[in-house]
Amino acid sequence: MELPAQLEARFAELLRRYPRKRSALVPMLLFAQDQFGYLSDALIEEIARRLDLNVLQVTETLAYYSMLRREPAGKYHLQICTNVSCMLRGGYRILEHCQRRLGIGHKQKTPDGRFSLEEVECIGACTGAPALQVNYDYYENMTPERLDILLETLAQGAPPPPPVPHTSGAVHPRHPDEVPVISRRFGIPDSRTLRVYREHDGYRALEKALGMKPEEIIEEVKKSNLRGRGGAGFPAGVKWSFVPKDTDKPKYVIANADESEPGTCKDRPLMEFDPHQLIEGMLIAGFAVGAHQGYIYIRGEYRYVMNILDEAIAEAYAAGLLGKNILGSGFDFDLCTHTGAGAYECGEESALMESLEGKRGYPRIRPPFPALVGLYGCPTVINNVETLSSVPAVILHGGEWYASLGTPKNGGTRLFAISGHVNRPGIYELPMGYNLLKMIDVAGGVANGKKLKAVIPGGSSTPLLKAEECDLAMDFDSLARAGSMLGSGAVIVLDEETCMVDVARRIMRFYAHESCGWCIPCREGTAWLRQMLDRFHAGGGRSEDIPLIGELSQNMLGRTFCPLGDAAAMPTISIVRKWRHEFEEHLKGRCPYKPAEVLAGAD
Amino acid sequence: MAEQKQIRLKIDDREVTVPAGTLVIEVAKRLGIEVPSFCYYPGLSLQAACRMCLVEVEKAPKLQTACTLVAVDGMVVHTNTEPVRKARRDMLEFLLTNHPLDCPVCDKGGECELQDMTFRYGADSSRFVELKVHQPEEKWSELVYFDMPRCILCFRCVRICDEGMDVKALGVGSRGVYSAIIPNRGDHLECEECGMCIDICPVGALTSGTYRYKTRPWEMKYVATPCAHCSNGCKTTLSVRNNQILRANNRDLSGFNREFLCAKGRFGFDFVSHEARLKFPLVRENGAQKPASWEQAVRIVAERLKAIRDRYGPEAIGVLGSNRTTNEENYLLNRFARATLGTNNVDHHRTADYAGLAAALGEEAPRAMLRMEELREAKAILVIGNEPSYQNPLVAWQIRWAVRNGGARLYIINAQPIKLRRRATCFVQADEAEALRHLASGGGQLSAETRHALQELETEIRKESDVAIVFGAELYAKAIGDLVDFGRQLNGQTRYMALGDYANSRGASDMGLLPEFLPGYERVSDAAARERFGRLWGTELSVVAGLDARAMLNEAGEKIKALYVVGSNPVKTFEVPAEKLARLELLVVQEIFPTETTAVADVVLPAASAYEKEGTFTNTAGDLQMLRKAVDLPGVRSDFDILRILAHQLARLGLGQPFAARTPEEVLEEIRQHVRGYAVSLANLLAGGAEPVHPVLEADPKAYDVPVGAIFSSRDTLFSSGSLTRYLKMVRSVNEARLSYEELRNAK
Ligand SMILES: Cc1cc2nc3c(=O)[nH]c(=O)nc-3n(C[C@H](O)[C@H](O)[C@H](O)COP(=O)(O)O)c2cc1C
Ligand code: SF4
Ligand code: SF4
Ligand code: SF4
Ligand code: SF4
Ligand code: FES
Ligand code: FES
Repeated sequence: MELPAQLEARFAELLRRYPRKRSALVPMLLFAQDQFGYLSDALIEEIARRLDLNVLQVTETLAYYSMLRREPAGKYHLQICTNVSCMLRGGYRILEHCQRRLGIGHKQKTPDGRFSLEEVECIGACTGAPALQVNYDYYENMTPERLDILLETLAQGAPPPPPVPHTSGAVHPRHPDEVPVISRRFGIPDSRTLRVYREHDGYRALEKALGMKPEEIIEEVKKSNLRGRGGAGFPAGVKWSFVPKDTDKPKYVIANADESEPGTCKDRPLMEFDPHQLIEGMLIAGFAVGAHQGYIYIRGEYRYVMNILDEAIAEAYAAGLLGKNILGSGFDFDLCTHTGAGAYECGEESALMESLEGKRGYPRIRPPFPALVGLYGCPTVINNVETLSSVPAVILHGGEWYASLGTPKNGGTRLFAISGHVNRPGIYELPMGYNLLKMIDVAGGVANGKKLKAVIPGGSSTPLLKAEECDLAMDFDSLARAGSMLGSGAVIVLDEETCMVDVARRIMRFYAHESCGWCIPCREGTAWLRQMLDRFHAGGGRSEDIPLIGELSQNMLGRTFCPLGDAAAMPTISIVRKWRHEFEEHLKGRCPYKPAEVLAGAD
Repeated sequence: MAEQKQIRLKIDDREVTVPAGTLVIEVAKRLGIEVPSFCYYPGLSLQAACRMCLVEVEKAPKLQTACTLVAVDGMVVHTNTEPVRKARRDMLEFLLTNHPLDCPVCDKGGECELQDMTFRYGADSSRFVELKVHQPEEKWSELVYFDMPRCILCFRCVRICDEGMDVKALGVGSRGVYSAIIPNRGDHLECEECGMCIDICPVGALTSGTYRYKTRPWEMKYVATPCAHCSNGCKTTLSVRNNQILRANNRDLSGFNREFLCAKGRFGFDFVSHEARLKFPLVRENGAQKPASWEQAVRIVAERLKAIRDRYGPEAIGVLGSNRTTNEENYLLNRFARATLGTNNVDHHRTADYAGLAAALGEEAPRAMLRMEELREAKAILVIGNEPSYQNPLVAWQIRWAVRNGGARLYIINAQPIKLRRRATCFVQADEAEALRHLASGGGQLSAETRHALQELETEIRKESDVAIVFGAELYAKAIGDLVDFGRQLNGQTRYMALGDYANSRGASDMGLLPEFLPGYERVSDAAARERFGRLWGTELSVVAGLDARAMLNEAGEKIKALYVVGSNPVKTFEVPAEKLARLELLVVQEIFPTETTAVADVVLPAASAYEKEGTFTNTAGDLQMLRKAVDLPGVRSDFDILRILAHQLARLGLGQPFAARTPEEVLEEIRQHVRGYAVSLANLLAGGAEPVHPVLEADPKAYDVPVGAIFSSRDTLFSSGSLTRYLKMVRSVNEARLSYEELRNAK
């Protein structure tokens, strides 16, 4: 099959990136779809042929990823987020408005083929909620009026209004309590260029690291108490130390840039404002564990961010900071980006590796852990973008300095994405252990002078805290003591008028949509709970449903194959336990809080 | 092999010692403790997906999946505590939410693992009141149907097709609760149609086109017997109701094939009840075949055989045996030819040179024979010639198993890029006999490139020990000698398996349906052997050298005046013009179906098929197994009975002795006592087991030779079975049956 030259070049370049051809599959499919609008049988066969796969291997893989489609979408594909942070700020209103204006529903297309509509899960713009994407362009802080203007312009065939220049809420006047370490270059003009990065200490940590012994680097990272920012909070230095030194196998470093946990949008600005910081962090990690190849696995929706990264990587190669014999040290390291295509589960590290190998994003049996058996069966360090972006500061200023910024065992600072009902949603870099109530104040306090009802402290998978539980230190250990988790550091603030049944419903909808379907309890449990909560919130609840919701969640907890099942269960259990009365009030047939949102039919 | 470390652990308060690395679920099984499981399947990759096998492990923070948990020293496991029981109940409750619970109409009802588990471990009532995911049943091929709502997504089918079959025709579509098994061609399958996926499905999601909605499992009787088709000897359990075979599988894992059956073994039983079966004798009168009674037909055959022998002498009669009749029948046919008729003109369509292998191995034979079961344990395998994936499906299955689960290295020499090359460590495309000559002596007509490739293969294989060698009909006589010369240079005990075509190809050879050999490869030229069998059979045996099959057919109407054919279709197999056979004074054919040969026969005697009789088969690896009669077809007689009756008639006419043995068991007894290598233990055979036979041919191997063209394979595929092919309706109904061999092999 004859392909456009540009796509052909892109394919050729992709095939050079990986030791196994199949790894190119998902990016090839997505790029081909970008070109042709959808994946036709002919395209699938062509891609299968090029990768030595059978057609089924391609179709079953693409069926897994929600961005990949077998039928053309509209010229402008509107993807409207209704996940928690957006929902709290009118996401459903935007969706309904759009449906009414276009006369189409979820996954439908206007007869002229100009528009198609999809209700989507969190797109990593939670501090700019409500948010939507037109194709790959972000439009944030939407209102029905702004949506009208957008649709109008697009309908007239005029060039679309410019999308947001960068993650909303990332750049703002600094609060005095903020400690800008990894976000310190946010807002500096051209911060993403190598020149500006170098003007602000860029690659000095790398120079220093290349003069150290790998063990010394790992020791420094251990001392820093830098814990994983992806959610689990595992000490980064300890993880690195698990990578075997005496092995013939190649080793890999992966940056987890899949950022899909609802409420989380802090990796996105880290990459768009400071891609070199991440690259530098990966180089240091690679040098420390003896890896010579790195991948940045970035969620498919973050296309513009990937382009920024690609440019930065190209710059780094040109400057001898990537490739062979880096800075004359003898150390070689190659790095490239890898796009996902719509799957929250691919943020789970082992599913991510499956995905990076071109397969359905099913998680793997562990042990063995990736440090021993990871990508292509080889030792692999995988860290979150924020974790890796923190490494240059740790090396440059020392582990002890970094540790001292936080609380015991919780070193450094964190980028907290504060969204929901606050006056100034945004991304704030605060020391580990910063008080949660004060944090809400940093973000301007609860919006519109309302009272606080609850906080989701670390992304939608973390158990919710009642207002009275919120006077606590935001670090991994304090939250664990409070029965919750620091997770991805995504703080979602809920005011007194929020319907908790609705929140539980929306959360379960997300996990049911994202369940990979591998294991029974999560696949069936999330689907069952989703239907139940939909029914319950719509007024069809039965009194026996209330304990059942808790019980079914409990039945998933701790028994699923990967933590996604727990992620669905934990917030639900906490909501039923802490706001049971709200469920009981619903039994009377109406939502006593704000009127129930029309349930736009995503599945 | 390195001594394996033993560890001790405790399950449900019982101490047990097992080799390090054993999975807890297997340890429990050893103790007779059942840990329920859906996705776990021995020999396939681990999934940990169904979460049914959760057990409590002391000191572990949460329940663990026994199917992935490796036992370690000192571990303490509980499989029957309340948390464990509750977890099982909860998993079943989740599982049943989207299950249609249509057991009363489901094919699997009565033998469904989900039904069983729900009964044993489940809750009594469902709390699910939401809508179930619904999807209509899909027909994926004539043989495979899919009912999505019943699927529990254990991924067994996907794995068996990929890992087990190396076909990769099944995958998973969509995600989450909408996940569904999908076939490789969108709405249908294009695959090997083995039906393994149907068989391995724990529920009624995948069902068989031959069986669906026909009956219920408890209404059938089960008869385990070797498959009637290829030479591999898979045990198939025939499910029978009202004298009708409704299904074939091997779910009880009773044979060395365990769960394996190919399309022919699983779906190729319907020929038995095909309307074209011969059901009464036919006798040619005034040019046309007319139905006759058994008495008439047998009398005519006896009288005319006697007359021809009297007139032209015994050498004017030829006997052509079968690859599909039992050992007992072949043994009797041999006696019939040599003792009753007095001719050494005995042969059959030889599909592998078993005699050649015996000759090359000599005394070494008993040690150097590779059994079917051993193949899956082999650590290094060399395949020369043949296309095992299509001609010897079980052999290919065993090889894949060895590679997948045992880490075996696979070496292949073949003129064609056969399918197994995908699993090979080293594949050399070359003419097999030339390659062997090269390996044995450095000669051979090969390109420099091929020589180089062979050199590499040789270097690698010389590092191996206990190499298992399987080879096809491409190697015979001297080439097998070369092979064994090469094999003797390798480390450890090299073992061999010759690959033939049909269910009792090996048995036909072992029982002496060869001109120069008596049963057990004793030479006709050997006076002592002649003397022994002569005494046993009550006659002095002729020493006149017999003609082989091709010679007999060439001489039809010339030197050969009468041809007695059992279960063979020489017109097709040997491509002899039918007119040539028409010139015979007498052509008698014992057959189950009309063939090109029965069409020109003077007398056709309708025979029972393998599923309608008792006896034994020897598979290509020398595994002897007993047949069990599953059904009866009125009108037909077993070849055994036909020969007995005929011998009796001939004795009355003064030719030979009547056969004293009335049953196949009695003949088996004679075989056990008098046929070299067949002195097997009866107990195991009777219990349904397989016993190794190992005939020895002590003679000078150099003295053994066969003419070019005497040994050849029919190159059947997964969808053909010699002359039976056209009567396999189910097997022939699939689209793939119409693909050429190349298309099949290259299908992706
Ligand atoms: C369902 C699920 C989704 C996840 N998604 C992400 C993600 O989007 N980004 C991320 O960094 N980690 C994610 N994780 C955590 C990763 O598995 C892994 O722990 C992390 O990448 C390790 O990096 P860290 O130690 O630097 O946090 C997810 C985990 C689960 C169970
Ligand atoms: S818990 Fe199970 S079904 Fe859910 S995402 Fe993980 S593996 Fe998939
Ligand atoms: S019948 Fe055999 S080859 Fe076909 S899909 Fe099932 S397992 Fe695969
Ligand atoms: S079809 Fe049967 S074997 Fe395949 S996944 Fe479903 S239940 Fe398992
Ligand atoms: S492999 Fe041979 S013996 Fe086994 S089922 Fe198939 S045809 Fe029968
Ligand atoms: S972008 Fe809508 S919730 Fe994150
Ligand atoms: S048998 Fe262990 S999880 Fe399925």
